[in-house]
Amino acid sequence: MFEGLSLNQAPPISVVLRFFLTLPVFGLILSLLMILFPTEILTHNHPFSLASIHLLFLGMISMGMIGALFQMQSVLGGAPIPSPLGNSLIIHSLLVLGILALASAFIFQFPELFIIAAVLLGSGIVYFAQILLPLLIAKMSHNTLKGMRFAIFSLLITAILGVVMASSYANGSFSDTHAAIKASHYSIGLIGWIAALIIYVAFQVIEMFYVTASYSNWCKQNVKRILGASLLLKVIWLFAALPFAWVFDVFMALLLVGFVTTTMKRLRSRKRRVSDVSIWFWMMGLGLLMIALLSYLTSIVSHYEPLEAMSLIAFALFALSIILGMMGKIVPFLVWFHLNAAGYMETPIMSNIIPAKRLKMSFWLFGATASTAILSPFVPLLLIASGLSGIALFSLLLFNLVTAAKLYRKVLATGTRFTFEP
Amino acid sequence: MKSLDVREFDHPLPLEMTVDAFKKLSGSEVLLMIHRREPTPLFEIITKNGGFYRSVHVEENLWHIFITRDSNVNLDDCRV
Repeated sequence: MFEGLSLNQAPPISVVLRFFLTLPVFGLILSLLMILFPTEILTHNHPFSLASIHLLFLGMISMGMIGALFQMQSVLGGAPIPSPLGNSLIIHSLLVLGILALASAFIFQFPELFIIAAVLLGSGIVYFAQILLPLLIAKMSHNTLKGMRFAIFSLLITAILGVVMASSYANGSFSDTHAAIKASHYSIGLIGWIAALIIYVAFQVIEMFYVTASYSNWCKQNVKRILGASLLLKVIWLFAALPFAWVFDVFMALLLVGFVTTTMKRLRSRKRRVSDVSIWFWMMGLGLLMIALLSYLTSIVSHYEPLEAMSLIAFALFALSIILGMMGKIVPFLVWFHLNAAGYMETPIMSNIIPAKRLKMSFWLFGATASTAILSPFVPLLLIASGLSGIALFSLLLFNLVTAAKLYRKVLATGTRFTFEP
Repeated sequence: MKSLDVREFDHPLPLEMTVDAFKKLSGSEVLLMIHRREPTPLFEIITKNGGFYRSVHVEENLWHIFITRDSNVNLDDCRV
């Protein structure tokens, strides 16, 4: 991700940190809801459940992914994002206010808030896409860029479907196609946006960060085609009310199983087997994805509702695990890189920016949060335990990010520039 | 010539190790970094801090990067 980084094109560090710092704040809000309203959150289609799902997928997962995309587009795309400070501020503000409005709309049942949320989130995501997509279309040579383009396009479609649904909630009237819109909304969001982006980021970073064998070119070229075709056919099936739409889910699930096994194999056979917390997060994330896929495939046959809930929770935690792992690697690197590039003698080594001890602690807290959350559909009280663990996890994450940002500012303010002695 | 083989190290350790060695260079010393890929961000850190480099793509997954702080050193003459 970073070995092609160009200082002239990398956005200021605050652009990325702004999105990353918001993630634990929404994590804390969600954890509080889990402690206070566990039964409601675990009830299918309950407003508290829908609020929690959007806090998780928009407030945490998408927030982390959009922040990372600001960095990755500049690094890999070769074409810098115009006015990154101003544009990131606009997008971030629209998303934060939109997510708060949407969660409040569900929780407090204010129809007007659904309209406000739709306008804020819709415009934030459209604004983000109209900035990034042209840059990605201009640079077509890189498979990861093509994957990013596919993911952002999927996010755009997910948002448009979300706006349609929000207007239905605001009016209290649901069309005959509401179920098809809803299924398309979450299918494209989960697979086309989240899974596709993580897969294409993995194609780029697993080999580079962990010195592993590279993925095959066939995979790099065809994953997005298979996912895109499966999603398109599923949406057609849903709107035409044709039977067996789940067949396309099975295709996508099998592809994701292939991704899990291929990536685990590469990580296990890497050349340098050093202890790195980010690898622990990757392995746990892949394990959670496998749990999500197996429980979903089982639920297709059994129609057992807790299995469906377990699948959704495990899928979200898969994405969150990888985002947290990558944040632990990206943030110290960005602080170190920007300070070194500016020539500061006092630039700390990366392992001192967020100490390994604290990263390991966050991994174990995430493990506790995740294990209790995925079992909560069967034992609802476990969601309270998960919320308590989540409070500790996201407080620590916030502390790690704030201390890294403070360290950066301190060196900028008091550091001395590096000069050679003659 | 000092030599630093970072091929087996996970990212971003190669960058950190090389920048550390670069800061310790004295006089007309040359540092040879042996890496599995071309480390573009390193070049910008070196040039922005008054150093010079030459990057040689030896073969697939093998790059030799010659680094110095002395503008009088002709890096084109450097050989392994």
